[in-house]
Amino acid sequence: MELGYLASTIVKMVALIAWIYGLLWGLGRKRLWQKAATLVLAFGVIQAVILAPKIGDFALFSAFDQGLLFQAITMTMVALGLNLIYGFNGQFSLAQWGFYGIGAYCSADITYRWTNGDASGLIVVGLGVILGALALMGVGKLLKIKRGVPVLSAFTFYLFALVAVGFIAVWLGQLLSPICAPLFGAPDAPGVLGSPIALQAVFFLSVIFAGAFAAEVSFLFGLPVLSLGSDYFGIATLGFAIVVKTLLVNSDTILGFKEMKGGRGMLGIPKLTTWAWAFIFLVIVIVIIRNFIRSSTGRATLAVREDEIAARAMGIDVAQNKLLAFVVGSFVAGIGGAIYAHYMGFLAPASFDFIAGFNPLIIVVFGGLGSMTGTIAAAFGWIFFLEGFLRILLGQLGTDAPSWRFVLYPITLLLLMLVRPQGLLGTVEWGFFKAEGLGATIKAAVGIKPKKAGE
Amino acid sequence: MAEIKKGEILLAMRDTTKAFGGLLAVKDFNLNLPKGCLQGLIGPNGAGKTTAFNLITGIIPLSSGSVEFKGERIDGLEPYEITRLGIARTFQNIRLFSNLSVLDNVRIAYHAHAGYSLGDSLLRTKRYTQSEKELTDKALDFLSIFKLEGIAGEIAKNLPYGQQRRVEIARALACDPTLLLLDEPAAGMNPREIQELMDLIHFIKERFDLTILLIEHQMRVVMGICEYLTVMDFGEVIARGTPREIQNNETVIEAYLGKGAAKSAAS
Repeated sequence: MELGYLASTIVKMVALIAWIYGLLWGLGRKRLWQKAATLVLAFGVIQAVILAPKIGDFALFSAFDQGLLFQAITMTMVALGLNLIYGFNGQFSLAQWGFYGIGAYCSADITYRWTNGDASGLIVVGLGVILGALALMGVGKLLKIKRGVPVLSAFTFYLFALVAVGFIAVWLGQLLSPICAPLFGAPDAPGVLGSPIALQAVFFLSVIFAGAFAAEVSFLFGLPVLSLGSDYFGIATLGFAIVVKTLLVNSDTILGFKEMKGGRGMLGIPKLTTWAWAFIFLVIVIVIIRNFIRSSTGRATLAVREDEIAARAMGIDVAQNKLLAFVVGSFVAGIGGAIYAHYMGFLAPASFDFIAGFNPLIIVVFGGLGSMTGTIAAAFGWIFFLEGFLRILLGQLGTDAPSWRFVLYPITLLLLMLVRPQGLLGTVEWGFFKAEGLGATIKAAVGIKPKKAGE
Repeated sequence: MAEIKKGEILLAMRDTTKAFGGLLAVKDFNLNLPKGCLQGLIGPNGAGKTTAFNLITGIIPLSSGSVEFKGERIDGLEPYEITRLGIARTFQNIRLFSNLSVLDNVRIAYHAHAGYSLGDSLLRTKRYTQSEKELTDKALDFLSIFKLEGIAGEIAKNLPYGQQRRVEIARALACDPTLLLLDEPAAGMNPREIQELMDLIHFIKERFDLTILLIEHQMRVVMGICEYLTVMDFGEVIARGTPREIQNNETVIEAYLGKGAAKSAAS
């Protein structure tokens, strides 16, 4: 029985990796209907195994497996964002986990308040994020007109603008949320805003806003810090991760969010993350990251990683490019956090400790710096192998034995780094992530103008 | 910016000085570069030639003086802005994007004129598809000018040295410059490669209507292609003139070979 269970875990792991590759392969097809069919199929297969009826004790895809799947998806999002920052832009960052935490708490607060008949979370964060983006753009325009503003002064301007916007948003929230309150209705007779459909819409918005909020924080943080050299930047991001965790521990006292309950952990977050939502956001994140990298901006990002001085000499605004990659990476981390919060239904600051923040870093390096395929494969492999397979396997040996996986995986890492320092996949990409039709273009061009003899 | 005719001053450096702490790397440096000429900047090691290049391209800020390009001051601008105005450069020790393909190296140079925004690329709009295709075609055409189209897909670091130089020059030209700064293009090349390089420099100068400023140690290159020379030593200009004049200039010989050599050359 136990052996059979173990075998089925291995089968599931292999099947999931195959599923990812299939998804990427299908999305990489040329025709639109092929992509659409892939999405439907990829969604349907997992949905089917989730819905499949239990045969006795045996479930095709148990609640435990589902948990692993959601963990893997959030980890994929965070790691993809980090790969953009570290793997593709060359900025060693430990702050990713902090943005993940920010996204998680931000969206959790919105939906928590909403389910308790309070629209202020959505209004304040939503307005704050939108007005904040406008304010940042406005200040950016002004700074562009008045040239040569030192980076710290620019930072001060942005900071003041955002703080001002924050106050306006809170004020508007206090003004508007009482108007919304009656629309929620009573628990036994829910009003317009209390309906499940409204809740789903709010969940969607909360995820997007959480990402945007993380992105704006990352903009403010990255602006002065990214101008430091790479190593110093790394240390500064470590500081950021620690600050975020400390603030979350004291969220009910320092920040004044009573519902977050500080270090005791936030309870009662509605469990809204379904397979459908997780899949939709996973695809959105994959598409954003891939479209970013496979563009002129993405090539500039790679150029900055390769050689900053040469990139500057090629007419690339290096500071802006670094900031852009950092902000997009953090946006994605925020979305990952939001998905995680609504799957767990419970958030504890301990899970956003910077030590745990090394996990996405290890995944990125393990999968290959600068390989999106590698990151996804490593994220899924990591969660399913470490949290799934090894836990079950070692569980056979005794109750304490599962802790041994924290000995086994460093050894695996060591071996990999010795045997294959460029990571599992190096910079190899698969399907959807490959540069579009480039090979064919080059071949065609070379075919038309064949090399002359003697060259 | 005003259009500059052939023969008019394209780049002017006036009394530019760069101090690294107490060391004056470049001191009261003056340079007038007429459009369409091929000037050389020579001098012993540590004379401040590369520093002068870095001052023009804005990689390091000036301590005093000014740099004018097409009649407008460019000192104080960011390097990427200076490049977009039309000054491109190569580096003494090749600085290709070594893990990227040759094609990508050139396409990166097109970034400023990509023709689509980040929004276009995220949503994969028609504008993105079209511009990206044009960009790639343009880059491949461009590479074929340099007979590099056959290696467009190669990773830059895997190329032989001479070809890396060619790619670097091609990449600089893809920025669509009016002024090209070449920092020791012939360093580490064998005589045959040097000949090819000289042909290439002549060719691109005509083909792209360039003004070229060149740092070089190889006297064969300097004497062979430069129309005018500026000689630097210890951050200062010690001589100017045509290659023939410089060859017989005592101060220059002294700077390169020492006082005794200058004497014996004179006698």
